[in-house]
Amino acid sequence: MKFAIAVYGAPYSHQAPLSAFYFAKAVLDQGHEIYRVFFYHDGVYNGNEAIAPPQDEPDIRQMWSSLAADNQIELIICIASALRRGMLDRTEADRYEKSNANLDKAFTISGLGQLIDAGLNADRLVTFGA
Amino acid sequence: MQIPSVTGFNAMGLNLDKEGFLRELADWNNEVAQILASNEGIDLTDDHWEIINLVRDYYQQHQISPVTRVLVKATREQLGDTKGSSIHLMQLFSGKPTKLVSKIAGLPKPANCD
Amino acid sequence: MKTLLFVHTSSPHGSVKAQEGLDALLMGSAFADCSALFLGEGILQLLKNQDTKQTGQKNFSQTFSALFDYGVDKVFCSKTHLQNHGISESDLVIEVTALADKDVAALFSSNDVILNF
Repeated sequence: MKFAIAVYGAPYSHQAPLSAFYFAKAVLDQGHEIYRVFFYHDGVYNGNEAIAPPQDEPDIRQMWSSLAADNQIELIICIASALRRGMLDRTEADRYEKSNANLDKAFTISGLGQLIDAGLNADRLVTFGA
Repeated sequence: MQIPSVTGFNAMGLNLDKEGFLRELADWNNEVAQILASNEGIDLTDDHWEIINLVRDYYQQHQISPVTRVLVKATREQLGDTKGSSIHLMQLFSGKPTKLVSKIAGLPKPANCD
Repeated sequence: MKTLLFVHTSSPHGSVKAQEGLDALLMGSAFADCSALFLGEGILQLLKNQDTKQTGQKNFSQTFSALFDYGVDKVFCSKTHLQNHGISESDLVIEVTALADKDVAALFSSNDVILNF
């Protein structure tokens, strides 16, 4: 089965990202497919390259990044949510004349249409932090 | 064509960002619209103004800039079938109606998606 | 083509979730047949005469009147939740069909994809 995952919660503030991550792992371990992971609302903070958690806590940004690389999964950050919250790749930082781009390279900024597309084309859309 | 300077204040004294959008939407008026349009190589005609006014009214009423398909529909309802077509809007606004209408009409800069 | 049901349960200005939920609904309208359902505090999003000046937030309640232009004409709320909040349909910014509880349940089961905000 093809699963899409939507993450609405911020890391280290909310359980949603970790639950979403372990759900994604379980989906893959059982031989299913992940169509896309879409980060919306405060979920966009998951892509913050500058996240530096204490060493005895999980590094959620790193966990997403490895999961995506190992399984060729798209990690999509909603552009409208990202701009409001200051999560920018180089292109958007330049467009808005900000000095820092802070989006981890494992994540891609795109439109909200990607969430709708995930809902329409995956067999299940599972939301964390709604 | 006016090129915005690095500080964002171009030769006409407008405070623009590097993409030529107004930094302060409150700076907008009809003369400013003429300058914003000429920065894009567009001379504003009555046909342009009909659309600019329509989009500003739409924003005033609904607090959003309409996406292209909704703009086409609203134009058709208010100005008739000939003008209410995406071809008419594309011709008036250099093939990028949503982005350029927002810019010239002094509405919020659209996010870089869709 | 699948149908989408957008379920709005957040109060309008306590967080940006309500506003971003409306953004999602508007985006959804470009791709598929969309319905909107307002439950619980989400009903407060639809109240008329909201004035957000004192809070500094954007008054996105004016945007609901654009839903029809975007092709979203199926807007529902829970009759029970309206009553719980002491609100009548005439207090709302747009025309909304108030559903009995069993019809709310039927709406969930008749749509293919549920997006919750």
